[in-house]
Amino acid sequence: MSDRELEEFLAVHPFTADLDESQRARLAKQARLAHYQPDEYLIQEGRPADAFYLIVQGLVSIELFVPGHGPRPLQTVEGGSAVGWSWMLAPSRWEFDARALERTTAVVFDAERLRALLLEDCCLGLRLVQRLLFLVTERLRAARLQLLDLYGPPRER
Amino acid sequence: MVKAAITTPAATNPFIPFPFVVMSRRRETRDTVTLRLRPLRNVRLLAQPGQFMMLSVIGVGEVPISVSGLPRRPGELEHTIRAVGSVTRHLVALRPGDYIGVRGPFGTSWPLQLAHGQDVLLIAGGLGFAPLRSALLSILRERWRYRQVIALYGARSPTDLLYRRDLSRWQQRPDLVLRMTVDHPDQYWRGQVGVVPNLIRQVAAFFEPANTIAMICGPEIMMRFTIRELQKHGVPDEHIFLSLERNMQCAIGLCGHCQLGPFFLCKDGPVLPYSRLAPFSDIREF
Repeated sequence: MSDRELEEFLAVHPFTADLDESQRARLAKQARLAHYQPDEYLIQEGRPADAFYLIVQGLVSIELFVPGHGPRPLQTVEGGSAVGWSWMLAPSRWEFDARALERTTAVVFDAERLRALLLEDCCLGLRLVQRLLFLVTERLRAARLQLLDLYGPPRER
Repeated sequence: MVKAAITTPAATNPFIPFPFVVMSRRRETRDTVTLRLRPLRNVRLLAQPGQFMMLSVIGVGEVPISVSGLPRRPGELEHTIRAVGSVTRHLVALRPGDYIGVRGPFGTSWPLQLAHGQDVLLIAGGLGFAPLRSALLSILRERWRYRQVIALYGARSPTDLLYRRDLSRWQQRPDLVLRMTVDHPDQYWRGQVGVVPNLIRQVAAFFEPANTIAMICGPEIMMRFTIRELQKHGVPDEHIFLSLERNMQCAIGLCGHCQLGPFFLCKDGPVLPYSRLAPFSDIREF
C-alpha cells in the first residue's frame, strides 16, 4: 500500500480527516494498512504498546481475559474510531485486549516513530493529543454510564 | 341482524375502565411480557403510537402502559409490561382468557406525520423500546412516506433484548438501519457493547441532521446523553421528541401527580419536543 493510498484513508477517517494535508502526509509515512480476521487480536494485555490503530472497517472488542470466564468484553469499537493510547504513556504496555469480532481493517501506526514525529512537530502533536483526550473522555463517559446499569430493574440498580 | 353500536371513549366517563380479555401472552425476558388484548364489548379505543392506556387489575390497582404494537384486528391493543411493582406483577402473571380493565388512550403520540419526507431516528434504551416499537411498526407499514429510517437500541444484556423475533426480521430489511448494543454481553454475543449515544456517531452518515426527526425513549439519563449527542450532530431541539414517564394516575390532567414544570405529562405528554422541555432541563429532578 502506497503512502498516497494511506493518505486517502486518513483523509476520510474522522480521527484525521480535519488535519492539514501535509500533516496527514507525514502521518501516512509512519503507517501501514492491516487486516484482521474474526477473533484475531490487535492488542494483548501486558505486551508492549507499540502501535496505534485507526479502525477503518469492522468491529473490535476491548476486553479483559478473566481466568475461568474467558474474555469479558467491556466495549466495542467500530470503523471510524481508534484503539489504543497506552503507547503515549510510560511504561507503554497494553492494559486490555482488543480482538476483532468481524473482519476488520485498520491503519496501524508504529508507536515509536509516531512518538518521534509528535515530538518533532509539536503542532501536530497537540492536535493528536487533543483527539486522544476526546477519545479517552468518550470512553470514560460510556464506562460511567454502563456502571449506572440504567436498564436494570429499579430495585437492582 | 342489528349490528351493535361501537362505543368510543369520548362518549363515556374517562374514569371507567372497559373490560378486556387477554388474547395472547408472549414472554420477552425473564420479567417482561407482551399482552395482546381484545375488548369484551364492541368498543374501539384507538391508540396512536406513543399514547398510553391505564391498565387495571381489579382489587390491585391501575398503571399507565404505552401501546407497544399495532392492532391486528380493530379494537385490539398490545402492551409490553415489566414486573416492577404489585400491579405490573399481576399483569405479567395474566394468562390468555384472563380479564383486565382498560381506559384510554391518553396523552400525545409520536410525531409520525411531521416525520413524513424526513429521516427518522428512533433511539430506545431498555424497556423504552416498547413505545417506540409501535412507532417503528407504523413507519414500516408506510415505509414509502419516510426517507432513511434508523433504529438504535440499547439493552442491559442480550437476554434483556425485547422483541427478538422482530429484531432478527428487521435486521434483514435493506430499508432499515438497525444497530443494537448491550452493556453486559454474555459469551455468545458477537454484537456491539457500549452505550446507546455511541451508536449515533456510527450512523451519522445515514441522516441529514436538519431534516431528521428523532424519537427517544428510555431512562432519563440515557435520554439526556442522547440529546447532547444529537445536538453535537446538529439535530435541532424542535426535531427531538422524548417520551417521559411519570406517576400518571388520573391520566386526564386533573390530579397533578405527573406534573413536570408547567406540563401534566398525562395530557401534555408523554411525548414532547425537547425544545419545550429544554428551559427546564437544568432542574436536577428533571
